[in-house]
Amino acid sequence: MARYQLAEHPHCEVEVLTAGLACCTLEVEAAVTAGLLIPAQLGNQASTPPSVLVISGTVTDALLPSVLDVIDRYPDAQLMSFGACATSGGPYWDSPPVTKGIDQFSDVAVYVAGCPPRPEAFVAALLSLAQAGISS
Amino acid sequence: MMNVSVTETVSPEKWRERVLQAHDHGFVFFDFLTAIDRDSGVEVVVRLAFNDLSESISLSTSINHASLRLDSIADIFPGAGWHEREVGEMFGMNFVGNDMQQLLRHEALGLPPMRKNVVLSARVVAEWPGAAEPEIKQDGRKVGNPSRRRQRPPGVPENWLQS
Amino acid sequence: MIHSFIALLPDKCTSCMLCVRECPAWCIHLDSHTEEVTEPGARRPKKINVLDSFDIDYSLCMYCGICVDVCPFDALEWDQHRALISDSRVDLTLGITQLTSEKDSAN
Ligand code: SF4
Ligand code: SF4
Ligand code: SF4
Repeated sequence: MARYQLAEHPHCEVEVLTAGLACCTLEVEAAVTAGLLIPAQLGNQASTPPSVLVISGTVTDALLPSVLDVIDRYPDAQLMSFGACATSGGPYWDSPPVTKGIDQFSDVAVYVAGCPPRPEAFVAALLSLAQAGISS
Repeated sequence: MMNVSVTETVSPEKWRERVLQAHDHGFVFFDFLTAIDRDSGVEVVVRLAFNDLSESISLSTSINHASLRLDSIADIFPGAGWHEREVGEMFGMNFVGNDMQQLLRHEALGLPPMRKNVVLSARVVAEWPGAAEPEIKQDGRKVGNPSRRRQRPPGVPENWLQS
Repeated sequence: MIHSFIALLPDKCTSCMLCVRECPAWCIHLDSHTEEVTEPGARRPKKINVLDSFDIDYSLCMYCGICVDVCPFDALEWDQHRALISDSRVDLTLGITQLTSEKDSAN
């Protein structure tokens, strides 16, 4: 796990589950390299739980328990379904081992379309959560 | 540069022998081994080349669905071992002489996923939007005199939808 | 250009269904009907397809561009578009007006 904050909105922190599920994860990393996200300031890292959990990439039925485990660990966090795979199974919508949408198991606060969505979309989605006053 | 490329079909019984022969002839570079599921059986293909890649050969053999066994060539080309296991996992082939432990697949999944008789239930359950026509609504309702017969979605064999 | 949106030019679409049938994600839905029109000077009326609805489910779309490629009438085209985000999955399905007007407001 790594903690980041939005470069232009430092109050907006994200927890990135670094175990990449699939290609979408690279876009989150791209947002980091592009300077859209910066590592969170040390100090408040451990004290506050993350406000947003990003599910990016293909969730398979085999991996689902581990993903749900993380979700359960942060009951107050908002869920972002990033990319077609996390939302609906995406290109693997007809594949038996793939979970067709994380929203079958947990409420999703924001869906981001794309395969993969662009890093800017990631930031825009975080901001939309922040503006809705949901994110702290 | 691949200059000369030959394709040859061999019988399953002669498979290992032919691969060994090719190896001794100078085809010592193992490119890949893969399979294709056909109506007549599972076709296993191996591609070999000279070390300078000046010549290459593709050998293929067809194995009946009823007994998917073939001699392993992993002792001739150690690199083929991994490919054989992959084909074993994806097509249900048994390469005699190789370690056929599953590599990736979840055991609960049942049928080898690359076989054409594996029904992708999502494709059967979901309504294919392509079945609509200018005079047939998405739910199958006819609103005129559609001339063409209903089409089948690509990648869905005919008997899937009936089962 | 950033390929981040597929826009529809409804006037060009003939409801031929090609894109719908080729889409690997089955995420395009289209309804249409036929109408008879009599052109001045023509001896018999001719049948034309009229588009009723055209939806792309962007929660499924994999941006492969096959629909853009197969359309014989160039009725679909790549476009730049702001991020498609929503708090409801259903809202990621865009209909004719959104597929066209969003195009004009693209940034
Ligand atoms: S939505 Fe596309 S880019 Fe993202 S994980 Fe799935 S296949 Fe990869
Ligand atoms: S881009 Fe590909 S997945 Fe998306 S609507 Fe077109 S054909 Fe379907
Ligand atoms: S392929 Fe083009 S003309 Fe045909 S239905 Fe699709 S958008 Fe319309």
